[in-house]
Amino acid sequence: MNITLPGSESIAAAMNAERIRMEVASQNIANARVTKTDNGEAYRRQQVVFEAVLQDSQNAIQSVQVARIEEDKSPFKRVFDPEHPDASADGYVEYPNVDVNREMVDLMMASRAYEANVAAMKFSRSMANESLSIGKS
Amino acid sequence: MARLMLRRFQSDFKTMIEALFSQTNYIAAKKGMDASGLKQKAIASNLANVETPGYRRVDTAPSFNAAFTRALREGNKQQLANLQPHVTVDQTAVSKNKDGNTVDVEQEVVALNQNALAHKLQAQLISGTLSKLRLAITGRPQ
Repeated sequence: MNITLPGSESIAAAMNAERIRMEVASQNIANARVTKTDNGEAYRRQQVVFEAVLQDSQNAIQSVQVARIEEDKSPFKRVFDPEHPDASADGYVEYPNVDVNREMVDLMMASRAYEANVAAMKFSRSMANESLSIGKS
Repeated sequence: MARLMLRRFQSDFKTMIEALFSQTNYIAAKKGMDASGLKQKAIASNLANVETPGYRRVDTAPSFNAAFTRALREGNKQQLANLQPHVTVDQTAVSKNKDGNTVDVEQEVVALNQNALAHKLQAQLISGTLSKLRLAITGRPQ
């Protein structure tokens, strides 16, 4: 129970969730050209799924958390490149189903959402300061 | 004689303090601070769930806002003191995209600013009441 900083639980949870989303997007970009992973396939794009968590049973106030990190089941990109070491018998290489532009947009949106939560935190702090200075002339 | 004067003084003092703390504005400001603290939590909840599919934005209940305004207009202190702010799902908000999320970041940031200002105003009202009490006790402003 946090009395002095209203909303800080939701804000902290959201910042954490957005950071995980940024990490996953960065991981997707980093592995955008990986044609072979441990299971023999190309890298599969990972995506973060958020879910709301009820925080206060009397009020509808909710926090957020990462429910799971899922694999994107969409097909790999097939490129004809017979010289490539991971090319199949017909000369095609399977590249990850990662679209770097899309990941960049995702990264930007996560960063904006993070900033919105930082702004909310600043306001919570100024409100707490205001409450603490009641009675000070 | 001295004891009688002291008793009289005590009862006057008590009446004065009660008068200060039972002003409609003071009670309203206290209740308003409760409400703005809760609203801050609601806005934080909305901003936290900007990208949660199917999340519906929450806000202080319209019934509370209406009852607060009515009690303040009528100057009904008892009713004001008994009000209990609470947060409910905002039924009027509509989703702008396909995932059913009804949070609009811009709107939330505006609400954040408004709420912080309202909170500041209420804190100053309460401080003002307390500084009047201090003036009465010490005879000096500040």
